[in-house]
Amino acid sequence: MFGGPGFFGAPRGGGGLPFGGIPEELAERATAILATEPDHPTPDVPYSPIAEDARPFTLARFVAPLRLALVGTGAIVVLETVALQAGPWLTQVGIDRGISRRDTGVLVAVTLAYVASVLVSMVAGGVRVAVTGRLGERLTYDLRVRVFSHLQRLGLDFYTGERQGRVLTRMTSDIDNLTVLFQDGLVNLTVQGLTLVVVGGILLALNPLLAGIVLLAIVPLMVAVTLWFRSASDTAYNRVRDRIADVLSDLSENLAGMRVVMAANRRRHNLVAHTNLVGEHREANLEAARIGAVYGPVSETIGVLGQAVLLGVGGWLVLHDRLTVGELFAFLLYLTSFFAPIQQLVQLYTTYQSGRSSVVKLGELLATPPSVPEAPGAAELAPIEGHIRFDDVTFAYDTGRPVLEHVDLEVRPGEVLAVVGPTGAGKSTIAKLITRFYDPQHGSVSIDGVDLRTVTLRSLRSQLGVVPQEAFLFSGTLRDNVAFGRPDAPEDEVTDAVAAVGLDGLVARLPLGLDTEVHERGVSLSAGERQLLALARAFLARPRVLVLDEATSNLDLASEQQVEGALDRVLEGRTAVIIAHRLATARRADRIAVIDHGRLVELGSHTELVATGGRYAAMYAAWIRNATS
Amino acid sequence: MRRMAPVLAGHRGRLAGALSLALVAMLIQVAMPAVIRQAVDRSLVARVSPLWPYVAGLLALGGARAGLTYLYRNGLFKLAWGIDTDLRVLLFDRVSSLDWTYFDRVASGQLISRANSDIRSVQLYLAFAPLVLMTVLQFVVAVAYMLTIDVGLTVVAVATLPAVYWFGVRLRDQTFPLSWISQSRQAEVAGVVDENIAGVRVVRSFAAEQQQVTEMARAATRLRWANIRTADSRSRLNPLIENLPRLSMAGVVGYGGWLVIQGRVTEGTLFAFTAYVTQLQVPFRTLGLFLMLGTRARASAQRIYEVLDEQPRVADRPGAVDLIDAVGRLSFEGVTFRYGGADGDRGAVLEDFTLEVPAGQTVALVGRTGSGKSTVGRLLGRFYDVEAGAVRIDGHDVRDLTQVSLRAHVAFAFDDPFLFSVPIRDNIAYSRPDADLAAVREAARDAQADGFIDALPQGYDTAVGERGYTLSGGQRQRVALARVLLANPPVLVLDDATSAIDAEVEALIHDALRRRLHRRTTVLVAHRLSTITLADRVVLLEGGRVVADGTHAELLAREPRYAAVLATVDDAEDPAGDVTNDPADQPVAG
Repeated sequence: MFGGPGFFGAPRGGGGLPFGGIPEELAERATAILATEPDHPTPDVPYSPIAEDARPFTLARFVAPLRLALVGTGAIVVLETVALQAGPWLTQVGIDRGISRRDTGVLVAVTLAYVASVLVSMVAGGVRVAVTGRLGERLTYDLRVRVFSHLQRLGLDFYTGERQGRVLTRMTSDIDNLTVLFQDGLVNLTVQGLTLVVVGGILLALNPLLAGIVLLAIVPLMVAVTLWFRSASDTAYNRVRDRIADVLSDLSENLAGMRVVMAANRRRHNLVAHTNLVGEHREANLEAARIGAVYGPVSETIGVLGQAVLLGVGGWLVLHDRLTVGELFAFLLYLTSFFAPIQQLVQLYTTYQSGRSSVVKLGELLATPPSVPEAPGAAELAPIEGHIRFDDVTFAYDTGRPVLEHVDLEVRPGEVLAVVGPTGAGKSTIAKLITRFYDPQHGSVSIDGVDLRTVTLRSLRSQLGVVPQEAFLFSGTLRDNVAFGRPDAPEDEVTDAVAAVGLDGLVARLPLGLDTEVHERGVSLSAGERQLLALARAFLARPRVLVLDEATSNLDLASEQQVEGALDRVLEGRTAVIIAHRLATARRADRIAVIDHGRLVELGSHTELVATGGRYAAMYAAWIRNATS
Repeated sequence: MRRMAPVLAGHRGRLAGALSLALVAMLIQVAMPAVIRQAVDRSLVARVSPLWPYVAGLLALGGARAGLTYLYRNGLFKLAWGIDTDLRVLLFDRVSSLDWTYFDRVASGQLISRANSDIRSVQLYLAFAPLVLMTVLQFVVAVAYMLTIDVGLTVVAVATLPAVYWFGVRLRDQTFPLSWISQSRQAEVAGVVDENIAGVRVVRSFAAEQQQVTEMARAATRLRWANIRTADSRSRLNPLIENLPRLSMAGVVGYGGWLVIQGRVTEGTLFAFTAYVTQLQVPFRTLGLFLMLGTRARASAQRIYEVLDEQPRVADRPGAVDLIDAVGRLSFEGVTFRYGGADGDRGAVLEDFTLEVPAGQTVALVGRTGSGKSTVGRLLGRFYDVEAGAVRIDGHDVRDLTQVSLRAHVAFAFDDPFLFSVPIRDNIAYSRPDADLAAVREAARDAQADGFIDALPQGYDTAVGERGYTLSGGQRQRVALARVLLANPPVLVLDDATSAIDAEVEALIHDALRRRLHRRTTVLVAHRLSTITLADRVVLLEGGRVVADGTHAELLAREPRYAAVLATVDDAEDPAGDVTNDPADQPVAG
């Protein structure tokens, strides 16, 4: 199928992630190029929870660091443009002073000057591309790191729902748009604008009448046609994009749902529907193509029209000895120099618009304040014992109804507390408040008597271990994942952590052991194994307090038992809060807190609560009945 | 590529027409500088003829060229998109006729993106390669004309063009792989962001922000390196490509000027030659590109044909008959089956599996994961063919029946139902697109889906989002059940189709099923006790065989293995995914 994944990669360090899909004919050259890549030193980019530059993000501030470099680049651009546009003028001099007067010396001088101008524009052009490329990349790099750093400051509430996709867009296409705006936009604007000015100046100096005809008749015509083309073709290509998206999503839906398509005997029907979509795609493309097929010949014809006018009017002037043949030549040659800048400047407008809107969007992102900000001058949280207190805590997501209301709760050092309750009761919120993923609207959460809002996030979270419902695995090796919280952890501690959760057997069976890559968000591991890995990760971080947020609720019975077994070792001597979906998990805790409708309704040991005969007792009875029926 | 001939053949007339027009347009382009040359020489320098005929001639040629260019471009575009359309439809037709084994093997995302870019590259090449050949022809004509004027000057004028070609090829050699490298590194950056977002809870939990920022800086550094490498390649080669023809211009001015002074050529010739230098770089700049595109298009065509050549493993036998008015008596006779085909390295999922289901019976298949119970249903719909034995419906081997008629008699609902991004109503009416709204509503009511559908913003006209994921798991299952109820076939396969639905709602649904599907044969693949108890008969599977058969009560009493399997079916949890409206317990990814 499609020649296999065609994995292609270079050794780690100097190389990179394998990239599938590179055409085989390019793979060899790409490898050769990658071989020349130096080892990049580990970047030293300090992260601070408080933004260094709080000023609004604008285009001017974006390029400001490069002011001086830009002035230098401007000088190079002027040199390049002048050298580039010297040709037709030199031709004119050669014809009028050399050829017409049969002066070989002038002709030789002109030719040498021409060659020199070519060399100058060659070198200047090269320098310009290299320099602006570097400047642009520097800006982009800084911006990327800056935006990404800010993303690290934002709270979990920022990462809900459809925002996730937008964040990725900010980090990719919006930043790319700015690079394009800088490299194609700013630089091209200078180059093309300057070209128009230089050529216009030369023409006016040569012959004002003829220059007037070119500048006032031909150029505006060209501008008008090009403007029409841009807007028409932008509209048409937007339609093309929509149509191809329709075709591809229909194809993808059919492939993904092929089993249903077959079962429902819909093949014929869907083929017709797909054919229609493909037809619409073709029509949209033909429409766009027609616009191009009009613009091309029309703009060429404007060029011919210009030549004809120059030949007619200019020729008449020559015949009346008011223009030399060399000057007519120069006009004919310069005519084409006008067209490319006009086309590019019109194009620039689109670039500017998308760049502009990206600036605004990035500015908004950078101006988003973190929902759990670190207080200025926040203290380091001293090593904790693990005494957690909720004091009259009320909390609501956004402005919705409160999820927790007036909750008072205490977890003693070394105690294992389970939190149970129906779906939506607010159990998970308790976990999120302890880890300060959110701040309560009212009341306070403290550890060892210290309000969480007064300490640095790092010092707090580095003493907590969290195991969420879905273990997230980062790409990289098993070792990278286990040592996520402590990348510098010594090998024996990593192996100990793996053994503590009972994953050592699995690791031993893998040919590469801990160096095995975890692919695609860890799909090659079962849900239970991933959860064990998350547990090992928390274990290695040696937290004083462990928070399990429904860590076993997505597991089947066998995996759950495995994880429960590992828990015994991991919980040893630690304060732990276990948000439990299943009573089997809750039963083992020292105490159980029952949450319902945002309130703490019962608190006590399993035996106590069963004896009391309240909510917990009822839940437990129902569970026992079901399990044995 | 040769195999693309039939695709092209359908468009032969259009191709020939467009190319002839293109050729004429290009010859006109060669003629125009010649006109200016004559005008300069005869009207302005020698002053032996009036100027206006040349001006008029130039305008006429320009107009003619514009018309021809419009026509041939339009023609070629029609051709190009015609080919694109043909290939897309061919591909869809082929892929949709393949069987489940193909989709088990092939990742559909890869198929889509490759198919799209491969079709595009073939289309581009087939339509525009001939055009490049035309520009080569134009070059030959122009050079021939130039040679008749002056051989030496011609050599000076075209001398740098091969270098333009050569540097162009070098530039592409460097920038094409570089752009792949850049893209993959862009993907790396996106990957870091993506993981950072998806794993945001883990990052925050472990206070790993610094580590992540460093990770991003590393990816960004690597991307920056690739981009700067690209800029460097361009900075070395682009100026050469742009400026070399200008060196020819300088040569034409110098050497040509000297020739004019010698009286061997005219002033007009100087202009014509500089115009040709500009015109003639085009084929040299594009030729290399199209040679490369040709290589790529060949590879693309091969990949497209790999898909088009794919043969369905399940196909109608010649002389297959239509199944008509079946009552739904099912029998599996000594069925052996393994995924990946008989020669595959995977173990048999069903081995000598034998089961008779009389028409109208509801039978529950129970077993551990991997016991083969889902496979039984799939074989019934002939989504796969058995390796040995036979699957029969009303005594007909399913392989002797047309697939369409077989599947019209069997309806399926799966545990992770697939909804299409069309209105709910069309999703329910998926196998009966002609059903009216009343019938759709009735089916939805019986599937207990009516209530939530009416509560949707546009009711039955609400389009469910991408793959229907805006609905909860339980809601999707109910829509899928409504789909099956509307199809109303004699045989029903419910493959864990109520796993995410509350037990009480499930009971209501089964009441409706019993009522509506009275005397329908129903095969239930069940994990939950509540589902199992709805069956007339329970069949316990282990290792691809039937190990026990009877009613639920009988099996519970006499079969310890049955009790063991049931014990792993924990019914205490509340049904996942049906009710989660509160952000409080919605898992933030991580």
